[in-house]
Amino acid sequence: MNAVIEAKNLSKRYGKRIAVDGIDFTIPAGRIVGLIGPNGSGKTTTLKAALGLIPFDGELSVLGFDPRTQRDDLMQDVCFIADVAILPRWLRVGDAIDFVAGVHPRFNRAKAERYIASTKLNPAMKVKEMSKGMIVQLHLALVMAIDAKLLVLDEPTLGLDILYRKQFYQNLLEDYFDEHKTIVITTHQVEEVEHILTDLMFIRDGRIVLAASMEEIGERYIEVMVAQDKISAANALQPIDRRTVFGKAVMLFDAGVPGGATRQQLAALGETRNPSVADLFVATMKGSYA
Amino acid sequence: MNTNTMKWLLRREFWENKGSMFWAPLVVGALLVLLVGGTVGYGIIGHGVPGHIVINGQTVANGGMSAAISLDSRIMIAKVASGMYLATASPLFFMLVFAVFFYCLNSLYDERRDRSILFWKSLPVSDTMTVLSKAAMAMIVAPLITIVLAVAASLALLVVVCIALGTQGMNMFGTMLASPDLYLSPLRLLSLLPVYVVWALPTVGWLMLVSSWARSKPFIWAVGVPLTGLLLLQWTNAAMQKISGTSLAIMPYAQDLVARILGGVVPGIWFTYRTDLAPDLRPTASGIDVGAIVSNSYASLAGLDAWFGVALGALMLFGAIRLRRWRDEG
Repeated sequence: MNAVIEAKNLSKRYGKRIAVDGIDFTIPAGRIVGLIGPNGSGKTTTLKAALGLIPFDGELSVLGFDPRTQRDDLMQDVCFIADVAILPRWLRVGDAIDFVAGVHPRFNRAKAERYIASTKLNPAMKVKEMSKGMIVQLHLALVMAIDAKLLVLDEPTLGLDILYRKQFYQNLLEDYFDEHKTIVITTHQVEEVEHILTDLMFIRDGRIVLAASMEEIGERYIEVMVAQDKISAANALQPIDRRTVFGKAVMLFDAGVPGGATRQQLAALGETRNPSVADLFVATMKGSYA
Repeated sequence: MNTNTMKWLLRREFWENKGSMFWAPLVVGALLVLLVGGTVGYGIIGHGVPGHIVINGQTVANGGMSAAISLDSRIMIAKVASGMYLATASPLFFMLVFAVFFYCLNSLYDERRDRSILFWKSLPVSDTMTVLSKAAMAMIVAPLITIVLAVAASLALLVVVCIALGTQGMNMFGTMLASPDLYLSPLRLLSLLPVYVVWALPTVGWLMLVSSWARSKPFIWAVGVPLTGLLLLQWTNAAMQKISGTSLAIMPYAQDLVARILGGVVPGIWFTYRTDLAPDLRPTASGIDVGAIVSNSYASLAGLDAWFGVALGALMLFGAIRLRRWRDEG
């Protein structure tokens, strides 16, 4: 079994509003997938469906289990951080470790304690005495010590300062991820995760508008600093986005579509480079809030 | 069911509710010993043994001056005291009612309000196990803690009073220690726990159902809805009696239902449903028949209504489990 998550015609409606609109996608094992979309696009709903937290329509298989009927089995191999700072206020660091060690067969106590030791947390500390960043450190210590096949992170660093955010992703990559694990991340801070992602999924209005590996995206999307005299020629090649940086036109091209511009054609227009995920995101989501 | 997981879930509930379930009764128990023991001890030592002794409101009239107290009277006092001494800890059971009531009411609501449910649900612990652990905490662990503290406080008080009497030349220790009731009373109290579980189940089930369902203000829903419903029924009933002279046939059942889903966590509540079973606790020549409390309590389980409540409570707990499984916290 290679696919960790497989969705076919997955839908979820809240009353009349369609949150997820019949999407299909497959997430293979050993990947770090960024599920990126504007607010209200359906990313959290998709993840909640995969974690068996909400009912949904269509087919969805997570590690071979149906999250609706086999959630208890599924949770042996899946872990998630669904929101920032949701640990209960009365919990002590030491008790939290004891509890997870007590109920989770795949929890590595030594690893959690090692991680805690590298922070300012101490076992007697209560969650209510901690800053938001420290709560996330505790949560991460617990989650990283669980040898889960799938880790889902829904906005895990929202509202944290950059030091905590950088450290969070660094720890995740260095001390947690390996080829047997799969991580799915949603976040607004695209620029901070793009260097750790192996795959990208853009979601908009409950539909997936782009799903590709980072290599594919590197080959497909090209950003060109167009020379002044080549602007009309560049426009003729149908860029998907145009913006101006220091008076220079920067255009984004999709070389993947049939009949699209080729790399050679674009190189003739000016300096080319790979666009950042953030730029690609902005171009793809144009008009989302209009 | 995984007993290890259950053990940790109960421990978790204890961490969260240590204040209301352990520290509060401990402090009150200590205060009881200090204040009541202090007052009684001071009274006896300072003013001598009174002409009569009042133990828990029961007057033992043939006390007399210490010198005049016959052996019979001493045995009688010892019997009454050893049978009833646990009653001095009744404030602890009064507190237990409130602790359990509000514990159930918030058990599945607070975790949704602070969103920590998302953390608990990220662990391999089923909703069934979680809800059952909370129900067990309310009906078994919390009463057990109170029983232990109540026995400890009562024994301490008894010792204080006996010492005070001893200073007046009235040695009660021998007769007291020889009285089997002294040792049986804690066991009797413990043996009432299963009866308590049976009668508490409808209330615990109802409160936890509301707790897992209410988007806000679980207290208003849990208490307001049944009482308002009952009031409306009462008005309808009164109107019908005026107009047609008949009364609503379901009225007594409705009253019973409301009493049972709100009052079931009160220890001994079963004697109010079955007044015929309420034991006579007045002292007689042979002391007090405390054993009747236990046998009559178990007799209350013979009726169908006890088991109807169990079925209803189990059904509501099942509802609470389903709600926790599927409730979307947005």
